[in-house]
Amino acid sequence: MIDILISAFALSVVLVGIHSYYGLEIIKRGIIFTDLAIGQMAAMGAAVSILFLEGQYIYPLSLLFALSGGFVIAVSSRKNENLEAFIGLMYAFGISGVFILLSKSSHGMETFQKLMAADILFTPMNDIIKTAILYGLLGIVIYIFHNKTKGFLRDALFFITFSVTVTSSVKLAGVLTVFALLVAPALISLIINRGKLLINAWIIGIAVNLTAILVSYNFDFPTGYTLVLLHAFIALIVSFIFGKKKRLVE
Amino acid sequence: MKKILIASISILYLVTTAHAGRIKVLTSYPYIADIVQKIGKEHVRVHYLARGNWDPHTVIPRPSFIAKVRRADLLIINGGQLEIGYLPPILKQANNADVFPGRKGFLDLSSSITMIDVPRSVSRAQGDMHPDGNPHYYLDPHNIPPLAKAITKKLCELDYHNASNYRNNQSVFLNKWNSKLAEWDRKLKSLRGISVVEYHKNFDYLLRRYGIKLVGTVEPLPGIPPTSRHMETISQIIARHSVKFIIHDVYHPERASKLLAKKHNIRMVVLPHDVGATNEAEGIFSLFDEIVRRLSQ
Repeated sequence: MIDILISAFALSVVLVGIHSYYGLEIIKRGIIFTDLAIGQMAAMGAAVSILFLEGQYIYPLSLLFALSGGFVIAVSSRKNENLEAFIGLMYAFGISGVFILLSKSSHGMETFQKLMAADILFTPMNDIIKTAILYGLLGIVIYIFHNKTKGFLRDALFFITFSVTVTSSVKLAGVLTVFALLVAPALISLIINRGKLLINAWIIGIAVNLTAILVSYNFDFPTGYTLVLLHAFIALIVSFIFGKKKRLVE
Repeated sequence: MKKILIASISILYLVTTAHAGRIKVLTSYPYIADIVQKIGKEHVRVHYLARGNWDPHTVIPRPSFIAKVRRADLLIINGGQLEIGYLPPILKQANNADVFPGRKGFLDLSSSITMIDVPRSVSRAQGDMHPDGNPHYYLDPHNIPPLAKAITKKLCELDYHNASNYRNNQSVFLNKWNSKLAEWDRKLKSLRGISVVEYHKNFDYLLRRYGIKLVGTVEPLPGIPPTSRHMETISQIIARHSVKFIIHDVYHPERASKLLAKKHNIRMVVLPHDVGATNEAEGIFSLFDEIVRRLSQ
């Protein structure tokens, strides 16, 4: 059994690696639901592929939809004051669109969920290695250009790389798992607010992942959901106890 | 140190040899496990994956599923693509070549049955998700004997030392089953010719067997929750065919079926679809006892 647990753990580490960076960014920018909105847009691309193309070109179509979602958010982040509302609506648009598209196909939702989200337990090592390489390259791009760009170019870079990441992560681990790994370690790290935020988020994320996978194995719980539950629970407790008072606007 | 090592090795040896005679059988659903238990008796150790009260199409995998597949000598599935949504990745990760499809340690029960509703062409837009036909064939009690025979044959093949035991257990099982069949046939005879509506096409085989007319489903397509227009259509169908009751299962939300039943003042009958789906259905015999009891109430 140890090999299965190792691959689940390896995947969760790869995901924490890149998503902690995005998590810190989106919490600072106050656009947490960007992840869910882009994830839903990717899902809509997949639904279009399932319904009209018998499931062909599912990845390119998901990516295309995700990128257009990311681009629209990047543009409107420059001019829209109520960005969070905009992103929330995009999420609602995506999820209802998927549902309507698939309502004409029997067992459509079930097939769809399976195509969109593998259980974290079942990702083959090849896919994990491929993802690690892709995210490593994205990490290098971000590292080089993050401080060299500014204004719209920086936003565009951020949202485009984010869309690519979300599309492949959601496929590997599911929407909820990706969301938890994105937000929880980053939030805890921001609350602790000492030393290097990104490194802290990594350490926290990896520790919680390891615990969650062992708990899931020990009690025979579905692995993805255990991961989400533990990340959410710990982040909730930490922010409830140590969270800073909100700065009221006006 | 050496003594401890020798002692532990010998204990390990004893533990492993104590079970060496028993075939480790894994089944996808509990109803299969119960038949295997009744035929294999003390010569088998049976486990199953999905619980009886779960939706058989959507099973959320757990780590233990992989461990169970790894340990199995024989894997028996319902087939007809009922397990397509969760079993393939488990088999792949567990990587136990003995129980791969086509190997000696694998049995697909659907191959001993002729399935109904086999689509002429498979297209998702047409609403055909099961290209092999409707996979809920085991809910016709007349389909159980061929399954029992296929299981016996496979057990004899894997463990020929106990073949005579398996054959004896099989004939005991079949004798009891046949007398039960006569009872069930008698009790359901009065339902011949009536019209019913089903939520999901779970009980088609049973309905066909007993001449009960299925005039519609509450789901517009398998797996898709009812829409307003479809509710209207099905409501008209219920009135036109003077439908006697609506058959529902234990895992879909009951709201739509209840609403229709109330509107037309007819019964909604919740039927167990597998061993363990309701408290009464604790084995393959009581599963059908309970289905017949609820239908003929």
